[in-house]
Amino acid sequence: MRPIQTTIAMIALAAAVALIHPGLIGPAMAQTGAIRIPVLVPLTGPLALEGTSQRNGAVMALTDAPVGVRIEYEVLDTGAAPETAVNALERVLARGGVSVIVAPIFGAQMLAMLPIAAERKVPLITISGTAQLTEMGNPYVFRFFPNDSVAKTAHALYVVEALGKKRPAVLFQTTAYGQSGRQHLAANFARLGATVVFEEGLDINLKDFLPALIKAKQANADALVLQLHAAPTALLLRQAASMGLGIPIVAGSAMHQPTTAALLQPAERKGVCAESASSPVSSIDPAVERWVAAYRREFGAEPDDFALTQYDAVRMAIDAAVQGARGPEEMRAALASGNFTGLAMTYKSDGMGNMAHDAIIMCYDDQGRPRIDRRYPRLG
Amino acid sequence: MSAIQLTANGLALGASYALVALGFVLIVNATGAVNFAQGDLAVAGGFLTVALAGVVNLPGVVLLPIAMVAMAGFGVAFAYLAYFPLRHQPPATVFISTIAFGIVLENGANGLFGAAPRLGPPLLPGGPVELSGLILPRQSLAIVAVTCVLIAGLQFVLMHTQFGRRLRATAQDAEMARAVGIPVGAMIAWTFALAIGLAGAAGMLLSNQFFIAPGDGTNLMLKAYIAVTIGGWGRIWGAVAGALIVAFFETILAVLLSQSAAEMFLYLAVLVVLGLRPRGLLGETIGRRA
Repeated sequence: MRPIQTTIAMIALAAAVALIHPGLIGPAMAQTGAIRIPVLVPLTGPLALEGTSQRNGAVMALTDAPVGVRIEYEVLDTGAAPETAVNALERVLARGGVSVIVAPIFGAQMLAMLPIAAERKVPLITISGTAQLTEMGNPYVFRFFPNDSVAKTAHALYVVEALGKKRPAVLFQTTAYGQSGRQHLAANFARLGATVVFEEGLDINLKDFLPALIKAKQANADALVLQLHAAPTALLLRQAASMGLGIPIVAGSAMHQPTTAALLQPAERKGVCAESASSPVSSIDPAVERWVAAYRREFGAEPDDFALTQYDAVRMAIDAAVQGARGPEEMRAALASGNFTGLAMTYKSDGMGNMAHDAIIMCYDDQGRPRIDRRYPRLG
Repeated sequence: MSAIQLTANGLALGASYALVALGFVLIVNATGAVNFAQGDLAVAGGFLTVALAGVVNLPGVVLLPIAMVAMAGFGVAFAYLAYFPLRHQPPATVFISTIAFGIVLENGANGLFGAAPRLGPPLLPGGPVELSGLILPRQSLAIVAVTCVLIAGLQFVLMHTQFGRRLRATAQDAEMARAVGIPVGAMIAWTFALAIGLAGAAGMLLSNQFFIAPGDGTNLMLKAYIAVTIGGWGRIWGAVAGALIVAFFETILAVLLSQSAAEMFLYLAVLVVLGLRPRGLLGETIGRRA
């Protein structure tokens, strides 16, 4: 066989082997200098709204990478079930060459993915609030959203210290997110000397919140504290306004989302407060304002905190890659030891993978416009 | 105020479930197959009215018949895509086809409208109604009233018109209906049109009172299925009674117990009904279904 034919045959053989064995594609890609960051987020199902924000934030960061850095990414829908997320994770890992993975906001999916990430030694960057994720000693998870021990501390502090309420009612979702928030709220209220006079877990598909609101009122609660996802938060606030609940409502982070607020009339959101990590649409920071304008241009939608913190998370990973972190182990080490000043806040691991330690409380004014009412820095 | 509002909300929710459940019953009677896309078709109706409200400035009560007619037309297309090509296959083939169609609809809505819940137009503009000192939620009352009109209209068409007799003849015995000259295929297509028109109405009614999101179809379908299982397959009033029972569990029983307990008791009730009256509380007129 002549040399040219031998070369062609070798290339063809290598290509065939690479196609048959996806695990070999990764090193080949790594040699080209590309950083592979798959985005696995829920784009359908009950958390599609939050997942879409997460996707948008990640994609903005990936397409906004510094000159000279070649990024490869793909977006996979993790749907509504943990097994769908696990399948998506297995698929991207099978192709190899992954530096870091943007992982779903859905706590139940994250819990299912964590053992695989640890086994395959690939870091996951997420904005899931479920506290348990970083309490399991898994060194491959990095959370860029205040976890419940931060967010729920701010939530409870605002109710008890800023509003002076001592008899809150807590309504939470029966998902991992809701249960985790409820647990931290209960602990914080107990620590602050407040008594939770009524609490109830609500299914994510529930449409009628009036029974729970009536019971909260009957329990003589002086504030209503919510740990609900976006659509249930809006529905509950609407029904609370309609029945004339008459007590302050401090919602979870879902209420800071412009899409949630858009479902309500200004009168229905007037006076409602919510905890969050930041509120990009209320920010007066010029860098955040520029980012908000770019987001609107790109997606034709209002950005929320999920999009902003996920953007920051991916930018930190890209920054680590620029500093020389290439493979997953180098990326994990960089995320674990570095610190990064993003648009929403400064991120640094607490040793367990919690990167975000600031929280805010935002409230809707008489015209139903959001404003930041209080900041709680370095809580965790 | 709370008790009245609770009852009105419960009735409005039950009324919307009833429209979805009625569509279920019509199709299962006519074809022997369960349409698992019925919830997603209701969601499609909700998004259609959201889109219409963004284009034309008309009150919801005017948009409702427009949406129903459009969804009825879509129902015929649905029949020719998801049912007719597979009707001679085992029943499982048809219900898998409807599940697949439902997933296509959900993802289509997600792609076209985004994942965020949307607020549909109100049936009637304005706030609560005051009647003899009682403050009543206007939208809930309007939903109940419109549902009553639609159910009464459906009952009239099925029981007192030649068209309705043909539909019922097709549902009871398609071979015999064909033998006496009834165009069975056309009657089945009309049944899909009616059922999906009703689903469209349910979607519109839900979209203002409870918002509408692409992923809502599965839950709606489940509620309709439970309503029909409790109330009785094959009967209009069974579906309506079943839907009201589901809403009773979700509202009244949720106040007395908790939402989780109410849901648990709802499914226990389904098991009891299946054990004691497998044909549902109001019986059924057909035998086999998917």
